[in-house]
Amino acid sequence: MTNVERFFHPSLKTVLALGFVLFVTSFPLRVPEAEALPAFARKYQVNCNVCHTRPPRLNPFGEQFLENGYQMPGTEDGGIVAKLKYGDVTLDDVSNYFAVLFGVDGVTNVNLKREVPGSEDLTELGTPAIVRLFTTGTVTENVGFFVDMTSIFSRSSDVEIGRAFITLNNLGGMDWAHLRVGRLDPSAYFSMARGRPHWVPVGPKFAPPFGSFATPTVTQWSLFQSAYASKFYGLFDRSGAFIMPFDSTLYNSPEEVGIDVHGRPFGDWFLYQVGVLNGGNERAGDSNNSKDWYVMTRFDYTQSAYLSVNLSGFGYFGNHNAKVLGGADVSRSRYGVGARVRYKWLDVYGAYTIDRVTDLPTGMEAIFDSTATGVTVEAHALVADRVLIGTRFDHMDAGGLLATRKSATFVGLQAKYYLRSNMWFTIRDDFNVRDSEGGRSAARNLRNRFNVSIDLVF
Amino acid sequence: MKAFWKNLTMAFGLVLVLTSIVGASEVTEHDIQQGKSIYERSCLICHGESGKGDGPAAFYNAAFSAPRARDFTVGNFKFRSTVSGSLPLDEDIFRTITNGIPGTMPSFSGLSSEQRWQVVAYIKTFYGGFQEEIPEVIKLAGLPILSAAESVRRGKILFQDMDCHSCHGRQGRGDGKVALAGELHDSRDLPISPNDLTNPTGWKNGATASDVVRTLFTGLDGTPMPSYESQLIGHEDDAWHLANYLLSLSGQN
Repeated sequence: MTNVERFFHPSLKTVLALGFVLFVTSFPLRVPEAEALPAFARKYQVNCNVCHTRPPRLNPFGEQFLENGYQMPGTEDGGIVAKLKYGDVTLDDVSNYFAVLFGVDGVTNVNLKREVPGSEDLTELGTPAIVRLFTTGTVTENVGFFVDMTSIFSRSSDVEIGRAFITLNNLGGMDWAHLRVGRLDPSAYFSMARGRPHWVPVGPKFAPPFGSFATPTVTQWSLFQSAYASKFYGLFDRSGAFIMPFDSTLYNSPEEVGIDVHGRPFGDWFLYQVGVLNGGNERAGDSNNSKDWYVMTRFDYTQSAYLSVNLSGFGYFGNHNAKVLGGADVSRSRYGVGARVRYKWLDVYGAYTIDRVTDLPTGMEAIFDSTATGVTVEAHALVADRVLIGTRFDHMDAGGLLATRKSATFVGLQAKYYLRSNMWFTIRDDFNVRDSEGGRSAARNLRNRFNVSIDLVF
Repeated sequence: MKAFWKNLTMAFGLVLVLTSIVGASEVTEHDIQQGKSIYERSCLICHGESGKGDGPAAFYNAAFSAPRARDFTVGNFKFRSTVSGSLPLDEDIFRTITNGIPGTMPSFSGLSSEQRWQVVAYIKTFYGGFQEEIPEVIKLAGLPILSAAESVRRGKILFQDMDCHSCHGRQGRGDGKVALAGELHDSRDLPISPNDLTNPTGWKNGATASDVVRTLFTGLDGTPMPSYESQLIGHEDDAWHLANYLLSLSGQN
């Protein structure tokens, strides 16, 4: 197609991009009003941006609020609302404990090479992709809770309980130890927390395997933080279900059952975290009757000049938390470092991880690479009060079965427009840096994914 | 009648604040050190280590517009019961810490009263003027006026006559012609919007009639909101009428 033809027959992507730009620029650039918004914002009557760089990522104040078990930094204010007696509670009080998030994929265009059987280019309008109901808060001083009920329509319409835990805070003194018990997200306090991503995880698409220890045919690669992905081909959980190489696992699992302690006993410059989990991404509990444990330390500079810098490192030590073909137990562990720099309008963060599989059965070492690495770096710039632009680099050096493993490298570009601080439009494009390389693998098959979406939280 | 007694009580409270000597006991070095410790845990993240309002989280709530976190080093405070240009009373700072500022600063009532007074003591160390200046308290005479239809009607006339609408708009939505022209900036030269008076959660200096009267007399230093003390002194009834009208815009009367 010539340039002239392109001009008169623009692609759907071009039309949508132009439409989005026109839509965004049609709003008068007024100074935003203060808005009292979901659960915590309502409870404390503040704008979302008191805690977020821009939702959903936290700013340093939001991180301290989170660390303190949903209480203002340096306080034990959990009882402010909860002291109301039964009968005095109004709908407004109840709304201080609930929030709802809608994520709607407006339009998605996926471009594939069709080297994997069943692959098909796709342009589709979206239904609500994600609906999440949060209930969270404090019930009295230093006692909090968090429950996250999620329905992801692309998987099923079932509602899943995600995170669900209780917090006991300031044990032994202010900021000495905060305890979480339940189904929790271990990496919540890491430099690049897995949760509250600016880049919503996408996919994968695959033909389901039949039976235990069966391998699915993946037709569309999942776009997710590679540093936090499983990275191995040929691993199964203890029930025999295939662990996708891009599944979020171990320290960076979205939720695992366990106990976690963190604190800052020496001041704001140092945070520790230790925890123990059932491990193995097991939703049904600890079938191997052993535990995974982890430790994380984080060093912060948060003083003045609108600057905050932190550096973290963690080790996650798995214990018979996966299986290989044939059913033999193996142990997966992860070691990682992460960093984040925020200065005024700039926010850059990333993580590098090394995963290792140990206890491989005899004879498997020759066909199984037991080491894999992943790196994810994201950068965002707040170019106006309501406009955030960003980019992401993801690289996975995959491990596992040598015959099937395939590394992957993706780059993403994204722009967000915040109509209000609780509602934003996202235009995003991810492209495969290595799509020109051959191979019938999902890691090569996905060339490009373009998406326009709307998120609303209230 | 209930509202009258409520206003009367609040007025007595206001008079007490305006006429009392600082309510806190004498400040010791220990208090200041305790205040520093609490400040570093609870306040530094927005107000910065040196109190300049440049903490690591200060940028995000007001990236390209006001209000940023207060700079304690220049002696410019918005929420006072003292005349414009004067420093605040300790009680004013204490009140802001306790109540927070709707939209931008959460309440820190989770700190004990003693801790909040200690933070007040520490905040005052950022600006030397607190050691030298004696804040001049605004003077009010008379009793509050009940928020009745006649009072609201008279307040509406005052709203026009005093040119409040040029910033706050005819309907009080913060869309007056000066605001729309983008001419309003704060002391940091950041663009600032007038309060939308129809939003019941938007009253940063308190949402009772006495809070509004106080704001009219003191102005909000560091913002384009001036003090109307010279126009209202001797006409305190007008201040109450205007306050009743302003609160009626958000259905709070």
